[in-house]
Amino acid sequence: MSTVTETPAPSTHTEDKHVLKPERSNLGLMRPDHNKSVLIDWLTTVDHKKIGIMYGAIALFFLLVGGVEALIIRTQLAFPENDLISAQRYNQLFTMHGTTMIFLAIMPLNAAFFNFLVPLQIGARDVAFPRINSFSLWAFVAGALVINFGWVLQAVEVMGLFSASGPTAGMNDFVPSMGWFGYAPITGIEFTGAGTDFWIMGLQILGVASLSAAMNFVVTIINMRAPGMKMMRLPVFTWMTLVVSLLIVFAFPAITIALAQLMFDRTFGTSFFVTAGGGQPILWQHLFWIFGHPEVYILVLPAMGIVSEVLPTFSKKPLFGYAIVVFSGAVIGFLGFAVWSHHMFTTGLGKVATAAFSLLTMAIAVPTGVKIFNWVGTLWGGRVRFAPPMIFALGFVWMFMMGGFSGIMHASAPADAQQQDSYFVIAHFHYVAIGGIFLAVVSGIYFWLPKIVGKMWKGKLSIWVAIFSTVGLNITFFPMHFLGLLGMPRRTHTYLEGFGWETYNLVCTIGSYILAFGIFLLVVDIIRCVRSGEPAGNDPWDARTLEWETTSPPQVYNFGRTPVIAARDALWEHKHGPENRRITYEEDDGHGIHMPSQSWMPMIASLGFVPLGLGLSLMQAGIPYMGYVAIFGLFMIALGVALWAIEGPGGYHLHPEEEK
Amino acid sequence: MVFLGGCDLNTKMSTFDTKGPIAETQLDLFMLTVWVTTFIFIVVGGVFVVAIVKFRERPNDDRPMPSQGHGNPLVEIGLIGASVLLLVIIAVPTLQAIWYTHDTPTDEHSKLGNWYPGDDLAEGSEDEVLVIRVIGYQWWWEFEYPQLGISTANEMVIPAGKAVHLELRSVDVIHSFWLPRIAGKVDLIPGRANAMWIQAGDNIEAWTEKNGAKGSELELQAAYNKYLEEEIHDYYYGQCAEYCGDSHARMLFRATVVGDDDFAAWVDSERVGHTAPDGMAWDEWYKIYDSKPESLTGDLNEGAKVFMGRGKCIACHSVEGNPRALGVAGPNLTNVGERLSIAAGWLNHHTEEDVLIEEEQYANFVKWIKETDVVKPGNLMWKANGNGIGELTDPDNPEQLKLLTDEEIHYLARYLQSLK
Repeated sequence: MSTVTETPAPSTHTEDKHVLKPERSNLGLMRPDHNKSVLIDWLTTVDHKKIGIMYGAIALFFLLVGGVEALIIRTQLAFPENDLISAQRYNQLFTMHGTTMIFLAIMPLNAAFFNFLVPLQIGARDVAFPRINSFSLWAFVAGALVINFGWVLQAVEVMGLFSASGPTAGMNDFVPSMGWFGYAPITGIEFTGAGTDFWIMGLQILGVASLSAAMNFVVTIINMRAPGMKMMRLPVFTWMTLVVSLLIVFAFPAITIALAQLMFDRTFGTSFFVTAGGGQPILWQHLFWIFGHPEVYILVLPAMGIVSEVLPTFSKKPLFGYAIVVFSGAVIGFLGFAVWSHHMFTTGLGKVATAAFSLLTMAIAVPTGVKIFNWVGTLWGGRVRFAPPMIFALGFVWMFMMGGFSGIMHASAPADAQQQDSYFVIAHFHYVAIGGIFLAVVSGIYFWLPKIVGKMWKGKLSIWVAIFSTVGLNITFFPMHFLGLLGMPRRTHTYLEGFGWETYNLVCTIGSYILAFGIFLLVVDIIRCVRSGEPAGNDPWDARTLEWETTSPPQVYNFGRTPVIAARDALWEHKHGPENRRITYEEDDGHGIHMPSQSWMPMIASLGFVPLGLGLSLMQAGIPYMGYVAIFGLFMIALGVALWAIEGPGGYHLHPEEEK
Repeated sequence: MVFLGGCDLNTKMSTFDTKGPIAETQLDLFMLTVWVTTFIFIVVGGVFVVAIVKFRERPNDDRPMPSQGHGNPLVEIGLIGASVLLLVIIAVPTLQAIWYTHDTPTDEHSKLGNWYPGDDLAEGSEDEVLVIRVIGYQWWWEFEYPQLGISTANEMVIPAGKAVHLELRSVDVIHSFWLPRIAGKVDLIPGRANAMWIQAGDNIEAWTEKNGAKGSELELQAAYNKYLEEEIHDYYYGQCAEYCGDSHARMLFRATVVGDDDFAAWVDSERVGHTAPDGMAWDEWYKIYDSKPESLTGDLNEGAKVFMGRGKCIACHSVEGNPRALGVAGPNLTNVGERLSIAAGWLNHHTEEDVLIEEEQYANFVKWIKETDVVKPGNLMWKANGNGIGELTDPDNPEQLKLLTDEEIHYLARYLQSLK
């Protein structure tokens, strides 16, 4: 791997790199560097900023897909005994809504911020392994394709071009319909069809993408920090990235194993979760939630990181209790592995286990509360400026608190027996997911998009985005607390009249359209900013951290010369602090900046997951020759990795000082 | 949130309108968490609002730069201590409630021998509480009473004021038993022996203590019985709470809470079951049915013939008393004509006061037989009969049995109505 910290091997490939034309790799093929085609440039890029932008764009697309799924769900539930969509379609929609929002919208949105910001915040030229970064992105795309492939088949079937009979008879339902946590045994072969296989393979591939990205960020944050950027000087967002990456590394293996076992049950007739063969369905729940609960923090900690950057910037004050905020983030990450069974309070765990998980769940409220106290402490005595990012960050604190409170209510296991699997739970995690994570992500978009595209926001549309999304969110989800307490179970495609649920449901549905309109305005605002914003300048917000030191958008090499950091909040101290805390720069050694070569191979390797995943899924459904497609996929992955290794690292040098 | 405040919290499945010690414990605990979090919300939210308002940037703000302090360890440790303290307020009653709601009590009032008026209990069960085995199917409920040797479906009957032990089992996927006004849910998981206990209404000691009632034993007993009759005897609504496939939304159930004598009477009628139409003995009826069925006439006889014959109903359903109706794949239909709902609580035929409406019952039976897949998509009665029993069949599908005519369905519905 070629990185900044490594001394490039003295080979023919590193000479005379300032002559910027593509070279041949060890394979004798042209490297796709300095390509005139924008498409090829983006497909083969190893630049963390472009990869981040692609993660963000794809994630926003899936956010809209998941949102449309949610709107159909809410429309179906607007009236009792509504028959807008069938039970089966409804079940597909809520399954895909959850799966899409968690794995294809929020996680990649977080990944977009990790990618774009972390190297900039730590003063690095790129992540530690730029080509693995590219591999992670395309593996994510492959997983998203496999999970959603069922919709394509379903559409083809609805159009009458294809029906499940003859050799395809095993595919009685194409789209996953067992809920996003896929409890055994409903994922078993006797209860669900090919949709479950797409879901298993898709999640497995997304796991590969997440794991490789997470390891990349752990290595990057540990090893690639600029001189003087000590761990306790890291921006909190980078700290949260590190914690989240470690959570991914430790949590994903559990679901990887569970998914592999499930796939074996379905495809090869094993009995991990099949009662008749001596298996235990409850095992799935343990394996899933031992991943699934840390996953909640994988989703929310980056949001906390974003808010911990935005609040100090717009209060003109350092984060209150930096050390304790970082530490509580780490404690949340650690305790996150010790509370999984609070998702299972109604499964008959027994008294002692129930009590233990109940108390541990309450315990995790403490570090979460600490963060909220510290955010309030940051505002106190500051100078609070209601810029767009700040409005959303303040909204986050407020709404996240609401979600946290209902979380404390769930922690009390006997009370949870009434709430579990009711709309109360839906209300709880949507306050966390939309009121918390989504508002923080929007805050992050308003904060960093000027850095990303180099253009400033136009006008005051952001206020309307804030109003519609927070009002919509509250109208949609606050009544759901009451729905749950009045006995409405979740995941029901319809309900009878006369249980006192009609008004609440109608209100929720109206709210969901208001929320959707807010998100529509957000998209409009983003497009306006990208198309016609005024130049933003390096530091439009009078911000505190290193990414605001460089140009907007940053150059491909990030920093012309490596910054030397002397304090936490490096840029703020540079602007307002004493002399000895200013940023200095390393001397130019005359070699220029070593840049990694672009490559097709990571994309080829990761797109091999598409035939592998689809082939294995369809093989299970009994479609002929699909085993060969799967083998072809495996071959493609192996070939991509092998060529990637053989083509050599390459690389070239840039001399930014000379260009000026 | 004004419009929410105006809404009724005493609805059919409300967890606020508790009618038993478990739901009450759970509600008390919930309300405690509500008060504690409301307190935190007011304090933290208040400081938050004050901070935003007080420290907001003003136009032409030329105050000096805010102090660049990095925090205050004493404040932070204090806040951590305070949050731990608040959580302990919730934690202690939580632990008590976990223990209380977990183990089935065996108080004297609940022991079968002390309240069940019949003398036909299974051996050794006098000292046990009533046991009901709840078995979940896609998408209906079986309620077995092993000590009493009976079994019913979708509408359970339980005695008021007595602890009842539920054994929770599932034959296919995970279901969850939720009877919100009486108890929170516990899951039915294949391959796992789960259990819970429920109780509709307090026992006499708890009731006396709670109401501070005074008087002689007889007076107390009378007042207590009045309380059970007026407040507890009722028709309760429950529903499956764990996603279990296509018709999860339509897997409801009911619990009828009755007095001891009514319970015993119900058990008796479940045991006796039904005679053949017109009070004929089954042996006699079958003799005619097997030799010259055309001589059995009248709505009920016609219906019974469909039930035993072309309808194939007995392949899956049993009816107590009928020696050939022994199927076990579907709900037990003994006294199905008495139930206020069919199709696992989805099709209802009763007034607000829980009085059965016969015309609606008839219409529901017809609807269910003709359109099982509409009422409950994916159900076994639909699938096992080659997609349907009624005549609204798919003409392009030769595998589909065109089983019953509208006339036959009419008779069948009348016959089912007569099972009471």
